[in-house]
Amino acid sequence: MTRSISRTALLAALLGLGALGAAPAFAQDAVISAAKAAGTVGEQADGYLGIKGTVSGDVRSAVDALNIKRRAAYTDLASKRGVTVQDMAAVTGCQTLASRVSQGQIYRIGAGNWQTKGAGAIALPDYCATAAK
Amino acid sequence: MRYGIWIGRTTRLASGALLAGMVGGCIQVRAPEKPIEINLNVKIQQEVVVRLQQDAKDLIQNNPELFPE
Repeated sequence: MTRSISRTALLAALLGLGALGAAPAFAQDAVISAAKAAGTVGEQADGYLGIKGTVSGDVRSAVDALNIKRRAAYTDLASKRGVTVQDMAAVTGCQTLASRVSQGQIYRIGAGNWQTKGAGAIALPDYCATAAK
Repeated sequence: MRYGIWIGRTTRLASGALLAGMVGGCIQVRAPEKPIEINLNVKIQQEVVVRLQQDAKDLIQNNPELFPE
């Protein structure tokens, strides 16, 4: 009796933990996708997400959290390849601008203004020259 | 006997010179890299872009949660 109860409790606790671990990442991406569609969050040439204007705390924290994860991934790869984190991030930025920005979404190159992607491909910075789709 | 001492000295001198040469070589190895200025104003060498491109593609492909559309 006691044993079956504790086993159920353990299972419930494990399920709860699993849900806690999975939910934020999923919710975060949903928040960011919505903000991208709304034109308040966009990809930047430096490999990170940027915010245009003022956004809710939810959006800001989701962007910050994702950028931290990206930086960790860039740092990892950069150390494997012997390049700077900024270089790794910027080369990834070429790719995200080339293939992860949909028409109508915003993006930013350098310190320039936010632009909205039209029907054609984004005019990438010169150093991206060979970054194909 | 004298000859032996002479050889020993020469060997010591030679190994000393070799060591000095190695140390000197080590100090000179690092060539200055071209300045890379990044952040919002990105400047990268084309060679680096070519070399990292596939890594960047793979990173995006393998971690879609980091690059939501």
